[in-house]
Amino acid sequence: MKVEVSYRKKLQQLKAHEMEKEGMGSEGAVPQRTTKDIQRGKPLNPELVEAAAAVASSLPLNKQQTESELLAQLRRHEETTDRQRKGGTINIRNVLSEMAVKRQSPAQRGVRVSNRISLELDEDGQRIKPERLSPQSFDSRSLKRGRRLNIFAKASPETENALKTVSLPTIWDLEFAKEIAAITAQPPRNGFEEMIQWTKEGILWEYPIDNEAGMEDDAEFHEHIFLDKHLEGFPKQGPIRHFMELVICGLSKNPYLSVKQKVEHIEWFQKYFEEKKEFLQEI
Amino acid sequence: EEIVLPRKKTWDKLAVLQTLASTVKRDPTAAHYMFQDDPFLIPRNAASFRLFSLSKESGRNAAKFIIKQFPQYFDKTFSEPNIPCLMPETLTPQIEGVSEEALKERIHLRMVKESVDLFDQLLQAGSPVSLETTNSLLDLLCFYGDGEPTPEKQEEEKQDLEETEVNASEQKAPKRQVQRGLQAAGSRENNNAERIFKIMPERNAHSYCTMIRGMVKHGAPAKAHDMYIELLNERHKADVHTFNALITAIPYLKERFLERWELAKVFLNHMAQQDVQPNLLTFNALLKTLRRCGGVGRNTAISVIKEMEALGIEPSLATYDHLLSIFYRGVDLHSSGIISEVLNDVEKRNFTPQDPDDANFFVTAMQVCCDLKDIKLAYQLNKAMEKGDNWKFLDVDRLNVYWSRFFSLLCMMEQIDVVLKWYKEMSPSLFYPTPKNILDLLQALDAANHLEMIPSVWEDMKQLGFSKKKLLALMSREQHPEEVQLVFARCAEDIRAVQEQTRREQAALDWSSSMLGSVVLLFSRAGRTQDAWTMMERFQQISRIPTGEVMDEFLNCAVRTNCPDEAIKLVKLAASLGLPSSQRLKSRTEKEFELSEKQKTTLGSIKSDGDSSDSDSDSDSD
Repeated sequence: MKVEVSYRKKLQQLKAHEMEKEGMGSEGAVPQRTTKDIQRGKPLNPELVEAAAAVASSLPLNKQQTESELLAQLRRHEETTDRQRKGGTINIRNVLSEMAVKRQSPAQRGVRVSNRISLELDEDGQRIKPERLSPQSFDSRSLKRGRRLNIFAKASPETENALKTVSLPTIWDLEFAKEIAAITAQPPRNGFEEMIQWTKEGILWEYPIDNEAGMEDDAEFHEHIFLDKHLEGFPKQGPIRHFMELVICGLSKNPYLSVKQKVEHIEWFQKYFEEKKEFLQEI
Repeated sequence: EEIVLPRKKTWDKLAVLQTLASTVKRDPTAAHYMFQDDPFLIPRNAASFRLFSLSKESGRNAAKFIIKQFPQYFDKTFSEPNIPCLMPETLTPQIEGVSEEALKERIHLRMVKESVDLFDQLLQAGSPVSLETTNSLLDLLCFYGDGEPTPEKQEEEKQDLEETEVNASEQKAPKRQVQRGLQAAGSRENNNAERIFKIMPERNAHSYCTMIRGMVKHGAPAKAHDMYIELLNERHKADVHTFNALITAIPYLKERFLERWELAKVFLNHMAQQDVQPNLLTFNALLKTLRRCGGVGRNTAISVIKEMEALGIEPSLATYDHLLSIFYRGVDLHSSGIISEVLNDVEKRNFTPQDPDDANFFVTAMQVCCDLKDIKLAYQLNKAMEKGDNWKFLDVDRLNVYWSRFFSLLCMMEQIDVVLKWYKEMSPSLFYPTPKNILDLLQALDAANHLEMIPSVWEDMKQLGFSKKKLLALMSREQHPEEVQLVFARCAEDIRAVQEQTRREQAALDWSSSMLGSVVLLFSRAGRTQDAWTMMERFQQISRIPTGEVMDEFLNCAVRTNCPDEAIKLVKLAASLGLPSSQRLKSRTEKEFELSEKQKTTLGSIKSDGDSSDSDSDSDSD
């Protein structure tokens, strides 16, 4: 598998460099080579210098300049290596985590699945135990410190308002709202809470008690009771007036009719008496 | 002088009641308000609590069902003003005929099958259905996933912790057939939603979005992803809910942790490109997916939180719950850094529910405190829970789990008087101790040498209905002052009575040898020789052998109470069982008792056959 081969090669190179390093008598830490080709040490390897000189001489350009440029480049390489070597083991970890491990056979997959349940398998497919660095790195983890993902940008107020143009709530929205409301809906803990719940449902009267609750009536009470003003079309004396005053009295006590209906009653009487006027005159 | 009339104050209709309710505190000696009707029906342990509260709900639902089934008997309105929620609902569609209006009405009434039939009829008749109506039909189908909305059923078999079953009065909505949908995921090949989607002449973004959401909900994540790709190909924009659904489906789309995270980033980037603003639920869905990403989740969760902060989205309890699960579950972690920060944030705020997973926070947090064995964090968490309305996030099941974990932690970490104070306050009015809690309590009592409290604990345990074995073992382990022993003996007697009541014929078989031994010890130490002897006889019935300690103790008791007959019987028993200690017992009896001549001869005649181990004439075969 390609990846495995390249990994093996890398390991070999690392080992080779290490051995050569030791051969040159430098520090014992495993050197991390980011560039594979050039050997280095402190100070610059005399072989390198020779090689640079040879290159410079083979090129038709200004020998001195070329040579100094090459040597400067080598030095730069060396410095970067040193810097990166300081962050030694972590780089290896990066290297390892970047590598894709080939998918194993089903047998191994089964083992992997069961390992997922165990605590030791930290990253899937890679049998790496929970980081040995983890105790320290964990304690340094905090919700206050950290970099954000930087994927989103904060919406400006105009876009926010534009987004607020709501369409009709769909069934998804309604059901979600119900689900959310059901989270904190606990059974009442005492009688008052039960009454609160009943009031919300409409089972209980609302305090302070309003005895006109639920009644839709456009008119005020005085329009029901003081119906005298509708008697203007009738004669001021006589049995008709007497009769109509009794009618008014009854209507004012009637809670079941609306004002309109009462006025219609009176008007009916008015019409009736108008029609029968001729008969009444005869009497 | 001007008289300035103060402006009239208008109060909310609930103001008076809320004020009154705030004056009432919890009574630690009473059961929950739900049960203060009939003392016989007050539950004694967690299981019956659940059962009774569910049955109360199911009674209400049965009544609603009757009203719904027979509306013709409930048409008189007595109350003025009318109470609509107690009256039968009119759910029959008014508009007849095959028309788009009729279809809209049926969709509104959530009649799935009729809507689909009507839609087909409309198409066959050749009259086109508008895009909007088709979209709302798709919404209906995708939400209910080809099933019908069923009336809520509060049977105990169907319960799992996610659903707030006790509060079904709030749930007029039918239960979602999620489990059925998941199982029927394979059968969604020819379902109506997809069929209608395919025959739509034109589709807009909404159609795609609702299909994606339906597929994710009913367990077809791969199809949802395909549909999303289709949506992208058609150059539509998905809305935030669709993205949330896709993010929740990620664990089903990819296996490896890194791939999951990569896919999540893909979705998030698409959101940014399509100018869709993420909301709280987006990030909660992301964290929920990261819960299933192991180490990758741990590395990336904090940057997700930072992103939320940068966008000005306040985390909800579900966010914190996911965080705690990412960092503390399944990992051997002993750092309390993250959880202290979480608690510091939580205790400052009064939360409102925003995510269905909010309800899990307190339980998870308490579990983490128990794992970390940190009592201070637990106190902090408890204070946060009692602040304002935060207690409402714990429904009855979660409440019990929360408190039992808290109590275990208390027993482990706190002084005994603090533990007892909490115990008296909290149980049984707020929670019912689990067997583990009782054992922890007993261990705490043991550690603090307060074993005289055990009889009162036993009283509680009797009500809770737990096993008596460990209790007996604890009681009989050591010698105790006289009064304590007497009380212990009474406990033992209670236990024996209970044990033997259960199955008359086979009462003896319920005993184990350790339990029997403990009971004998307790009786012996309290000087109840007769009772002790009755229990000794049981040993033969269960074919077990009493330990040397038990027999010695019995002999001591016999000496104290001056019952040489019992002692002789003991020696006989030991001999018949072929015990090596019978010789020792025999000599002890001879030494410590004032034996009559007859007794001496009886004693002498008992042969201790250490060799022959088969049972002799004394043993009864039951």
